[in-house]
Amino acid sequence: MATTSVDQIHGGPGPSVPVPPRPLRRSRGRLALRNTLVGWSFILPNFLGFGLLTLIPVVTLFYLSFTSWNVFGTAQWVGLENFQRLIGDGSYHTALFNTLYYGVFHIPLTLAASLGLALLLNRKLRGVAFFRTVAFLPYITSIVAIAAVWNMLFSPEFGPINQFLTAVGVSNPPGWTTSADWSMPAIIIVSVWRDMGYYMLLFLAGLQTVPGELYEAARVDGAGAWSRFRNVTLPCLRPTTFFVTVLLTIGSFKIFDLILVMTGGGPGQSTLVLSQYIYNKGFVENQFGYSSAVAVSLFVICLSVTVFQFVWNKRRDA
Amino acid sequence: MKRMIPAFGLSAALALTLAACGGDATNETPSTDGGDTTAEEMTDEPVTLTLAGWSLNTTPEFQVLADSFSEAYPNVTVEVAEYGDGDDYDTQMIADLAAGVAPDIYVQKNLKNFFTYADGQQLLDISDVVSGLDPATGGVDFYQMDGTSYAVPYRQDSWLLYYNKDLFAEAGIDEPDGTWTWDDYVETSKALSDELDVKGSYQHSWQSVVQGFALAQSDGAALDSGDYSYLAPFYERSLDLQDAKAQESFGTVTTNSLSYQAQFGTQEAAMLPMGTWYVATLIAQQENGEAEDFEWGMAPIPQVDSSTTGTDATPVTFGDPTGLGINPAIDEDKVAAAKAFLAFAAGEGGADALAGIGITPALLSDTVVDTYFSLDGVPTDELSAFAFSTHDTRPENPVAETTAVVQNILGDAHSAIMSESDSVDDALAEASDRAANEAGIG
Repeated sequence: MATTSVDQIHGGPGPSVPVPPRPLRRSRGRLALRNTLVGWSFILPNFLGFGLLTLIPVVTLFYLSFTSWNVFGTAQWVGLENFQRLIGDGSYHTALFNTLYYGVFHIPLTLAASLGLALLLNRKLRGVAFFRTVAFLPYITSIVAIAAVWNMLFSPEFGPINQFLTAVGVSNPPGWTTSADWSMPAIIIVSVWRDMGYYMLLFLAGLQTVPGELYEAARVDGAGAWSRFRNVTLPCLRPTTFFVTVLLTIGSFKIFDLILVMTGGGPGQSTLVLSQYIYNKGFVENQFGYSSAVAVSLFVICLSVTVFQFVWNKRRDA
Repeated sequence: MKRMIPAFGLSAALALTLAACGGDATNETPSTDGGDTTAEEMTDEPVTLTLAGWSLNTTPEFQVLADSFSEAYPNVTVEVAEYGDGDDYDTQMIADLAAGVAPDIYVQKNLKNFFTYADGQQLLDISDVVSGLDPATGGVDFYQMDGTSYAVPYRQDSWLLYYNKDLFAEAGIDEPDGTWTWDDYVETSKALSDELDVKGSYQHSWQSVVQGFALAQSDGAALDSGDYSYLAPFYERSLDLQDAKAQESFGTVTTNSLSYQAQFGTQEAAMLPMGTWYVATLIAQQENGEAEDFEWGMAPIPQVDSSTTGTDATPVTFGDPTGLGINPAIDEDKVAAAKAFLAFAAGEGGADALAGIGITPALLSDTVVDTYFSLDGVPTDELSAFAFSTHDTRPENPVAETTAVVQNILGDAHSAIMSESDSVDDALAEASDRAANEAGIG
């Protein structure tokens, strides 16, 4: 690496230039240092930001999870007490269950919806760019606006969704965000609607890499649309699907903003998820030690699931 | 309480308009009580104090207090430092205190976080200021821990019943007379709904609308008891009103983000239990056309039984005071001036300045009440004056380490009950279990 740089800076191939060995070594050493510094200077701003705003807080979080701390004064080391408390904490269990409930539906539904949209909008249709933009719009719309509008749509008495359901003969339409049973499905619907445009883009990008010859060959062999999709499109999209699944999984476990503004975790604790529980314990109740322990547990869950996905994917590759 | 904050800011914003109408009332001499004691210790050297406030453009009370204090003590300049509104205020203040860069004097926005500040030794002992305050100052005791005072109240909103006189007249139903119990309130609300095209009452979605009254008015009720059965009759009445369609359902209120200002201000509901901050808002909105033009009044909030009703009794209501405390990191030579500021803000001088912009001060002396009721648009009937000035106001968030946790738990119970996702008994039993589990009480 250093040699290449030196060659480039000298403006010619090294061996052809007669340079005494000692000065070359010194100058090479200096240049190597300079190059290293230049390299560092490029990544320094980003690394500083990462270090200050992510790395140090994350390391501190791990430390805090073993302490009892209410912001003021010094944190008291309590060992594994916070983690033991997690085991018997009913609200934590509820939040964990709700997070899994959300993930189990949100991940496959968003995957299916975004892939479906991508396939639909991968054709050469008139105005396809317009439809792609429309599908992407929810993703760039303010989450607060989304929550407010969907809450109105879901309004049990006057909302258009229930009015429609009543009109088509549903006698007892769901209470949606005002019902403990229906609030999570409502959140999942909005969440899938919001996210599918973004993942559609990723799938669209993936679809461009599928070689057209494969489809032609499949056609020649008499494969139908479903067979082409199953045997050509899906296998070729595997890297994209894997990438999307990993992103969706992490995103699902981290869900916070949409729920906070749509239901605030309610009614009762029906939509309380881990991220909101972390927020409540930390910023509302000032129990930063316990809150950090919940955050660490969320980190471990995310990490385990992601590692499992990587291992599984690798095995399938093999 | 948390959701009250935007309204609080708004009311203060609109109070600016009132200040313009109400003339000057900010030019009072400093309190003769605590003010003098601390004033004696002050030197004539110029001192600059910093005071925390939020949303200064729309919340004039901090600047008004700062200006009127500087007028009384010309050697002291009070600079107001702006913080975020809503919950951001406490988050930012906690961060600044921990970092050692917080202002000399800072506001206790409600009682919920007071324990965190006082227990974390982020408030100076100001018992000497408190001992000099007028005994009539509301909410002083709320800021005590182990007999030591850490803040003084300067503002004390409390809840009362707003009612639309025109709608009562149209329905031919007798207006509240100060003798109402909650059962009378429910009955009248239903009767109004039957007679009119609008709802009899509007209860906002906040947990305090039900729980604040229950805690204040029920014998033996305590947040740290772990027994929340005292809430049951209050919830049953609220559900009864909702089921009878005498008020909007909880679902409609939350999903449509209904605002109490619009519901009462545009005559969609004839009665509204709400805090005194709404007086300034309603007057300003009637002036600028956001609210319709109608005659309204204030009545004491209904009571559990007749023992505290009537104008010869003192109705029990609730409300957290807003207080001022001193940052212990303040320079030693500024402490006397800071204490003088606290004494002024909680005394007659501060109270009159605040009343002049439509804010309910903690000290409701006759002069202060006169100042308040001389503002244009404030109802002048006797019952309104009684409701505004006579009440036993209990804290919504009694100071304790477990208060924030319990309020969170009861917030969940509130949404579960009001959305009818859970029965009253089941939700309250679950709240008790969670209080034992999460806060170690009961």
